[in-house]
Amino acid sequence: MNDSLFQIGAEGVDTVRIVEEIQAAVDEKIRDGIYPDPEIARAERHNLQHLQSQEAFMEYYMNCLRQAAYVDINEFEIRERRALIAPLLVGAKRLIWKVLVFYTYRLWSQQNQVNGLLVAAVEGMDRKSGRKIRDLETRVARLEKQLADRSG
Amino acid sequence: MTRAERIAFVVPRWSREGTVGGAENLLGSLARRAAAQRDVEVLTTCARNHFTWANEREPGSETVDGLTVRYFRVNEDRDLERFLDVQEQISHGVEISDEEERDWIDHNVNSRDLLDHLTDSTYDTVVIGPYLFGLTWHASGIHPGRTFLVPCLHAEPFAQLRIMHRMFAQVRGFLFNSVPERELARRLFGLRDARIGVVGMGLESFEADAGAFARRHNLTQPYVIYSGRREPLKGTPMLLDFVHGFRRRTRIDLKLVLTGSGEFDAPAGLRPHIIDAGILPEKEKQEAMAGAVAFLHPSVNESLSIVILEAWLAGTPCLVTAFSDVMQYQCLQSGGGLWFQTYPEFEEQLNRLIQDTELRATLARRGRAFVRQQYNWNAVEKRFYDVIDGGR
Repeated sequence: MNDSLFQIGAEGVDTVRIVEEIQAAVDEKIRDGIYPDPEIARAERHNLQHLQSQEAFMEYYMNCLRQAAYVDINEFEIRERRALIAPLLVGAKRLIWKVLVFYTYRLWSQQNQVNGLLVAAVEGMDRKSGRKIRDLETRVARLEKQLADRSG
Repeated sequence: MTRAERIAFVVPRWSREGTVGGAENLLGSLARRAAAQRDVEVLTTCARNHFTWANEREPGSETVDGLTVRYFRVNEDRDLERFLDVQEQISHGVEISDEEERDWIDHNVNSRDLLDHLTDSTYDTVVIGPYLFGLTWHASGIHPGRTFLVPCLHAEPFAQLRIMHRMFAQVRGFLFNSVPERELARRLFGLRDARIGVVGMGLESFEADAGAFARRHNLTQPYVIYSGRREPLKGTPMLLDFVHGFRRRTRIDLKLVLTGSGEFDAPAGLRPHIIDAGILPEKEKQEAMAGAVAFLHPSVNESLSIVILEAWLAGTPCLVTAFSDVMQYQCLQSGGGLWFQTYPEFEEQLNRLIQDTELRATLARRGRAFVRQQYNWNAVEKRFYDVIDGGR
């Protein structure tokens, strides 16, 4: 079976070049910190199993996770887009917020604590295993060199 | 070279309307084409539903347009609980024993009546697929020297089973759907003495009105499309998350059109922007594809993506996951699409396709030329007969 049967060499753009250009642009944006936002971490949740081998991406994903781990529990401005009944709805929302704030604050504080600890644990494990792998690689390289010197 | 005059196609399910799985449709369309030139019979089960495998139609036979289809009952005495138990373990990558592998294949979908018919038959060639059914495994051992397997193989835990080595080692040859599928089979099973071909499936060229779907649905915004089964194995959750992320981050009012079947759970913010068209008549599906900015395909488990070929025929470029060797290969060979690994790459590529109409047109033109050249029926039939006649 000749694989060239499946190539047609039509004129036009070079898709490999386009994909590479886009990858390079993305890498640069990652370095500039454009992407670490919770939106991406959320979008990538089903893609993670495929990305496990991508070292650079994991680093960037950890950044996203750090951003996403902490839920903002501070006071915020309550707004309402439906102009006609806005004052009424805003009042009702403020009332609900005031009634529930003591409970939600406690709940989210604990959740933030758990999220923070989990992120720290994952980072710690990642650093530890990375260090271990680097040490092993250095050791293997040294042993291979010794072996080559002896047989040479 | 000796012509195989009497050919049997063994498929788990058969439908004249093409409402069975992709692999079964592929084998079905090959059988229909072959029936115009050779004496062809399809041997299949009485089941219609791939979840229950209940015998929904009466056993017997029918002949339509020169093609005889014989229906046989699915074994009803299989131990479904045992099968599902072992299948669960395999799916999760648990190491299982030879005995468990054997139980999995024996209690898989099978038909004793069909196997008896095949044992007593005098077909010159038997074409069987896809690989992971008990019926395929057992049938391939009856006349292995005359059997050609259409594996529809994916890089999945089932392909790693020791029991599969036996099937791949004994059959006469293989009809693969794509070069990456063939290479995967070589890596897993060696395939040293087999007769091998990359055949695929033929598609008829068509012209579709690119504005028809948008007019029918009062769509004024650009849209992307996915057609096929909507389920986690096909990557649908990732597709929904990516499109949702794209809309929120870029503020582009992009709609997502889904055709096909299956439930899906979209993020709440995306739901108003999904047009779930369900299973469409062929012409409407082609029109929906023709009007899209891009066809999105997030599935990793493909041996050949027919919908991508259809999208190219409709004049639409594709955006596929790079984690599918097969789809990346299809895009590379044709020049009809781009491939992404991560969300940021997806965002940049889709943005580029939305902004750059010239790029879109070029990719679509190249994809269409590729399909018309490589997947027209004459080319596919030639590759098919080269393997089954040449292998005798």
